[in-house]
Amino acid sequence: MPEVTIDWYIALSVILFTIGSLGVLLRRNAIIIFMSVEMMLNSANLAFVAFARHLGDLDGQVLVFFVITVAAAEVAVGLALIVAIFRTKKTINIDDMNLLKG
Amino acid sequence: MNAYGLAPLLLLFPALGVLFNGLVGRRFVEADARVGERWSGWVASLMAISSFVVAVLLFLTLQANEFHAMVVPIMDWISIPAANFYVPWAIRVDTLSVTMMLVVTGVGSLIHIYAIGYMHGDPNFSRFFTYFNLFIFFMLILVSGSTYLVLFVGWEGVGLCSFLLISFWFDRTNAAGKAMNADAGRKAFIVNRVGDFGMILALFLMFWTFRSLEFGTVFETAVEMFHSNHVVEFGLFSAPIGVVITAITALFLLGATGKSAQIPLYVWLPDAMAGPTPVSALIHAATMVTSGIYLIVRSNVLFELARESGPVIFGVISSPDLVALIGASTGLLAGLIAFTQFDIKKVLAYSTVSQLGFMIAAAGMGAYVAAMFHLVTHAFFKALLFLGSGSVIHGMEHGHHLHAHGHGDHHEDVFDPQDMRTMGGLRHKMPTTFWTYLIGALALSGIPPLAGFWSKDEILAHGNEHAILVYVVLALAAVCTAFYMGRQLHLTFFGEPRHEAAEHAHESPRLMTVPLMALAVLAVAGGFLNLPYLTASLAEANGNHPAGIFLGLESWLEHSITAFELSKEGIIHLPHTPIVLSPLVAGISTLLALLALGGAFYVYRNKPETAVDPDPLQKLKPLWWFRILPFETFYMKFVVPPFNRLADWLAFAVDWNFWHDFVHNNIIRDMFVSFATFLADVFDKFGVDGTVNGIGSVTKGLAGVIRRTQTGFARTYALGVFLGAVALLAYFLWVIF
Repeated sequence: MPEVTIDWYIALSVILFTIGSLGVLLRRNAIIIFMSVEMMLNSANLAFVAFARHLGDLDGQVLVFFVITVAAAEVAVGLALIVAIFRTKKTINIDDMNLLKG
Repeated sequence: MNAYGLAPLLLLFPALGVLFNGLVGRRFVEADARVGERWSGWVASLMAISSFVVAVLLFLTLQANEFHAMVVPIMDWISIPAANFYVPWAIRVDTLSVTMMLVVTGVGSLIHIYAIGYMHGDPNFSRFFTYFNLFIFFMLILVSGSTYLVLFVGWEGVGLCSFLLISFWFDRTNAAGKAMNADAGRKAFIVNRVGDFGMILALFLMFWTFRSLEFGTVFETAVEMFHSNHVVEFGLFSAPIGVVITAITALFLLGATGKSAQIPLYVWLPDAMAGPTPVSALIHAATMVTSGIYLIVRSNVLFELARESGPVIFGVISSPDLVALIGASTGLLAGLIAFTQFDIKKVLAYSTVSQLGFMIAAAGMGAYVAAMFHLVTHAFFKALLFLGSGSVIHGMEHGHHLHAHGHGDHHEDVFDPQDMRTMGGLRHKMPTTFWTYLIGALALSGIPPLAGFWSKDEILAHGNEHAILVYVVLALAAVCTAFYMGRQLHLTFFGEPRHEAAEHAHESPRLMTVPLMALAVLAVAGGFLNLPYLTASLAEANGNHPAGIFLGLESWLEHSITAFELSKEGIIHLPHTPIVLSPLVAGISTLLALLALGGAFYVYRNKPETAVDPDPLQKLKPLWWFRILPFETFYMKFVVPPFNRLADWLAFAVDWNFWHDFVHNNIIRDMFVSFATFLADVFDKFGVDGTVNGIGSVTKGLAGVIRRTQTGFARTYALGVFLGAVALLAYFLWVIF
């Protein structure tokens, strides 16, 4: 059984971040995009925690709590927006939301 | 006692009166005519009386302080350090100015009270008293100023009041529809401009020469310069001081001929009688018209220096001699014109011109005290005569009114209440007016012991001693005076009434007769101000410079009028020689006056019998030439038409055709239009509009390009953010490594 090093955590974090950003860029469903954003945030959290552990510094872990808090708030606002948009447009397809098109 | 500090109050009281009547008086009168008139008139009168009280206090102060002249400053008026030009507004309290103050406010107060009765019922009652107080204010500025410039302010101010009051009934028209009163006011104003032109030139010349306009400084500098044979530089040329002083005094004479109605500018005064009678009494007999005499007496040092300079004017005459000559000839000419007048006030107007001639002649001969003495007594008896004539006119108007209404029919014929031919027999209808008028007329004619006798005789005695030509002319003028006064007395008060108005005339109210009586007392007693023997003996008994006792005008005015002689050693101040009555001169003039009065009564003993009868004097054709020939005709023929043509030419050729049509239309307007066209078509269109529209189209074009980035696909924006983040990351990595 190989030893789990910091590199493994970083690789996982990169993979998660990549999946998340591709989800944001490629998917059309607003909820999926939202979930992808959460995934990007959590990949960052993972990197923070891994580096904190590796460097023996608690600052990174503390920052993760802030990120989680902000993410929770963001989810609350974002989901509320999505519900409101759905009520008027009967869809949450992101490409149909183009009222501000130039 | 020291009341010098009270001097500014002298000016304050009439100024308050002007404010009261000018601001609220009208409302009082409009609210309730009877009470309002009482307020308006009595406030104005009280202000004049208060000023009189201040003048009396100043008189007593001078007595108590050995006649010490004092300059009481009010404020700095003009100060231009660069030109060394300082003119303070200060009051000069000396025996000469206080004499004038007493006359102005004393006679003025009586006439104010009289005017309350005379102006009763006039819709512009308060306006009248505003002007009246304003006149007192300016007249006091004139006589109290300590510099020539302040004197000039008063000089112009009284001219303004004269204009306002002559044309007080500016809406009245005569039978031909001409606004005679307004015309008379304008005439007075315009004729006085000619005199004022002389005044202002004299002031310029004076400041250039002496660098001061203050009385004391000017006189001292003048005497010093005269003694050191100073030469005045005028840039291109220079003139000896004697010539310059002659020029200044000659210009003062021009000013005096305007204000004091002398040849050649006397023509305005007879027309000025269009104003209300109290105005004629106060302004055009007692006070304003004497400012010319005050000016000459005040400038006595300059006139004496001009006399010393000899015959400078065209090499034939010195300026004081010219003054005396003009005064004497005016005295005679106006006396002759007075024969031919039918208007009761016009006779008095010409008489005033004639008497002013006496004063001017006296001042010109160097008899300054005699001039002032005659000024004071003349103020008493001429004010009395004018107020008396006002009372007569008042009575005639009421008589006419009563008669016209009594018969219930309207008189279509124009009735002139001032025409003496319609009067006659008024001595029974208006006894108080008659008796006071008689006193005034006798005083004016020079019957002893009334005021006019003493003052006129002092002038005649001086003429007899120093200038025999002036004496002869003035003695003839005095005969004329007695004759036309006799004629007027007879036509007005004696004989039988020649018109229904005279038949129904009645005495004027008490408010008018009481001032008449007061002035009658003054006209009787005025001569005692300077009784020759009394003054001489009192002066002898008290030493030559008595202090604290009023010993007649002679020793009183001595403290303001410098008597001096220039010699090689310098200036020698001469003691005044007390005037001594010349029994011969006095006897001759009394005899002549009595003969002339008797002659007048003889000529008019029973003529004219009706209002349309010719005057007995009309047989004397040459006399009537004086009515039409003198200066008036000359001006209307030779001065006014060329002036009108010049004015026409200036108005139409120069002003209208050249200035308006050519300069305005062709030059100014065209320049303006082409500039405006440039602004509108070029600057505005391309400059202003171009800038604004340019900003708009550039913004629009840029927006058209930039809007394409707003695709409406949120994922495109997300890609932008992603790529931006990658680019930033790449940049940081590149910077770090």
